[in-house]
Amino acid sequence: MTRFLLKRLGLALVTLFLLSVIVFGISTILPGNVGRAVLGPFATQESVDALNEQLGTDRSVFAQYVDWAGGLLQGDLGTSLTKQVPTSDLLVPALENSFKLALVAFLICVPLSILGGVVAGLRYGRLTDKTVTITGISLAAMPEFVTGIVLILVFGIWLGWLPVTAQAEEGASAATQVKYLLLPALTLTLVLFGYIARVTRAGVIEALDSDYTRTAYLKGLPSSVVVRKHVLRNALPPTIAVVAVQVGYLVGGLVAVEVLFNYQGIGLLVYEAARQKDLPLLTAGVLVIGVVYLVVTLIADILYAALNPRIRLGAAE
Amino acid sequence: MDRETKRLIEEFRRNEAGPLENNVIDELVGGELDREEFIRRAGMFGMGAGAIGVFLKLVGESDLAHAAPQLEGQAGGTIRLGIPVFGASLEPYLLNEGGSLAFAGIPGEYLTFTTPDGRVVPWLASSFRPNADATVWTFQIRRGVKFHNGKTLTAQDVVASMKQYVGQRNSNAGLSPFFDAAGVSARGQYTVVFRLKSAIGVFPYLLSQTTYQAIIQPAAIAAKPGSWVASGMIGTGPFRLRRYTDKRSADLVRHTGYWGGRPPMDGVRVTFFQGSAPLVLALRAGQIDLAMQLSPQEGAPFKNNPKYNYYLLPTSSHRQVSMRTDVAPFRDARVRRAVALVINRPQQIQRVMLGAGQIGNDNPFWRGFASTDRSIKQRKQNLELARALLRAAGAENLRFTLTTWNFLDHTDHAASIQAFARQAGIEVGLEVMDVSKYYDSEPAGADYATTTPWLNRPATLTEYGARGVPNIYLTRCYMSTGDWNASHYKNPEFDQVSRTYLAASEIAAQRRATKRMAGLLLRDTPVITDYFIRYVTAGSSKVKNYVPEGISHMRLAKVRLG
Repeated sequence: MTRFLLKRLGLALVTLFLLSVIVFGISTILPGNVGRAVLGPFATQESVDALNEQLGTDRSVFAQYVDWAGGLLQGDLGTSLTKQVPTSDLLVPALENSFKLALVAFLICVPLSILGGVVAGLRYGRLTDKTVTITGISLAAMPEFVTGIVLILVFGIWLGWLPVTAQAEEGASAATQVKYLLLPALTLTLVLFGYIARVTRAGVIEALDSDYTRTAYLKGLPSSVVVRKHVLRNALPPTIAVVAVQVGYLVGGLVAVEVLFNYQGIGLLVYEAARQKDLPLLTAGVLVIGVVYLVVTLIADILYAALNPRIRLGAAE
Repeated sequence: MDRETKRLIEEFRRNEAGPLENNVIDELVGGELDREEFIRRAGMFGMGAGAIGVFLKLVGESDLAHAAPQLEGQAGGTIRLGIPVFGASLEPYLLNEGGSLAFAGIPGEYLTFTTPDGRVVPWLASSFRPNADATVWTFQIRRGVKFHNGKTLTAQDVVASMKQYVGQRNSNAGLSPFFDAAGVSARGQYTVVFRLKSAIGVFPYLLSQTTYQAIIQPAAIAAKPGSWVASGMIGTGPFRLRRYTDKRSADLVRHTGYWGGRPPMDGVRVTFFQGSAPLVLALRAGQIDLAMQLSPQEGAPFKNNPKYNYYLLPTSSHRQVSMRTDVAPFRDARVRRAVALVINRPQQIQRVMLGAGQIGNDNPFWRGFASTDRSIKQRKQNLELARALLRAAGAENLRFTLTTWNFLDHTDHAASIQAFARQAGIEVGLEVMDVSKYYDSEPAGADYATTTPWLNRPATLTEYGARGVPNIYLTRCYMSTGDWNASHYKNPEFDQVSRTYLAASEIAAQRRATKRMAGLLLRDTPVITDYFIRYVTAGSSKVKNYVPEGISHMRLAKVRLG
């Protein structure tokens, strides 16, 4: 297992390095320049040039990358070009926000989706299965922006039960923060439900159809035991892999939801950095999201291995 | 008029009024100025309310109303504002977005103030006065004004602030064409003298909130450019900053030493919104009390709804459809006139702005400017004439692409022009860009002035914010030397008349100049300005005594919640 982990860690470092090179490389074809983004469209070119010179953004992308990477090796993630503050000052609160939203969404979405998938799998071909499947696909097909607006209109404006913005006031209690995060978390739940539930359902159907399940029933084990010990244990690994990928998305990929619910998460921060060509912030943000993805995937791999002896044996060999 | 009043008037004209003030008085007596314009002009030249009232009475007008406005609502509480998030810095000299200037304008204040009806009035300056040819302006600084840190405002603070705004190489204030750092100096504790590079008859307007960068900072902070935000945004405004979280929210509390009287509200909570949709939804859900600005479409649900106040303010903000006068197909002025003639302007305002606009006449002279000559004939849709002009110019099959960016009404506006043009057989293609592409050089890194789409495409549609006077529009968009001259219009006669206008202090001379300029612009039509924008916003009906401003500032000193 240690060798497995070390190998994954090495791959992760290479991935992160490539990620930073790609971000800097792609930035050369992005429109816009930092001086113009800071000073606005109507600033004189002389002013824009002066600011670019002051910020060092008039140098080649390679020179900027070497500078940034040198700082990174010393533990410095760089300074935001547009805000002129350390990027960590912007990333840490944004990441904290993203984790909070991801956690609330995860706690609602994952159990609900797995439950839906299991029920649909166990009721394969019946009305319950069709209801879960069609509802899930319909919700997943709707853009999260639309789902979010519908929820806002119903629960935020017509009924007035929930706040329509996700950012609670500074110093708000945990319960209040959760209340503010409910609508975006529900939006994400509706978007992800169909996908996770379908994967779970497929796993359950496959496990139900397997020889070991049939044997377990023939042995006279009660249904609840068969489902718990044989069906779920074998149906869940693919679901875990899917959930792991979704956790990365929940943390770093929620630009539309963050805009709609006016929530300053890391997805939005990185999007803004790309728009303004704030390279140090953009690259640091992408790297942080990359780390989240890698860590979550690693955890999923470990869980997967724990649930599936064949993976453990394969790794040992 | 009794003898005593006559004596006082003569004494004032002889001893206190300079040539410019006497000229304004003569214009009032001679009937060239009406009541509103006299108040506006006299205020700009620093005449006190008492003197203005006396001269109004002299011509049979009613005196200035001094009664305090009737205040509704209760004092106390916190008002919650929704302001669009901004990408760039909050440092005054770098301000360039509606959200940042609105926020910075709560703790920050200016030497003068341009009122929504276009008058410039003293603010942190208690008075201002030009010399005989308007090349030197002397401002008296209001006494007893305290900054949020307790320091008293003096001339030194004003001088240090102004030196920063004209001295920083990357300043957005745009004041350096008018004076340089050596041209501003303190004379004693409460007098500031501006020596201008050339005469400007409307100089006090340029130091008002319409030049939103020109916030007065304490001298010690102003001396270190870029330190205003880090020092807590210390200004003289009615609310001082207590907490600010970038892109999220801010709390401000009452400035107890505010020179304009104790602000009724205890505090202000600002939430920054990433887009207009969440801002509108938050207002509808009651999570904010007041929005900074909305498009007419966004404002529609709040109109005629008793739960909300809907604000509509005429402004000089407008759109310019610029046609390159130096390249085909717009070299011939007849072609440009033909394009302007296809637009049905009243319909255009209804279609694009849902009525929230005022008709434009292809010049930047908004009817709210005192200098605008209202006798200029309005251009109207005339498809027959448009076709005839195209035939005469040999451009019957006119085709061109109109380039703009995805902002507020631009796309609808461009599409509407496309539809009108089709009626005269003109094919207009649309090119809608992202903001960073529209305002960047093309390709990135190339020479900006000669490649950026907004200044170099054959036809472009660009937005211009509200100003108290049209000076900036003229110098930067229409004059040959203008760096925003997207039509590449070069007319020595126009330049000459513009210079005459800029130096003129007398309203009659300004109007003569604007009339000539408008005539030239109608003939040459380098730019179509089919409407001026009415500023739209909305708030909860609980908000009392709020008056919006065309430049996006949010004045909260008198606001209460019902």
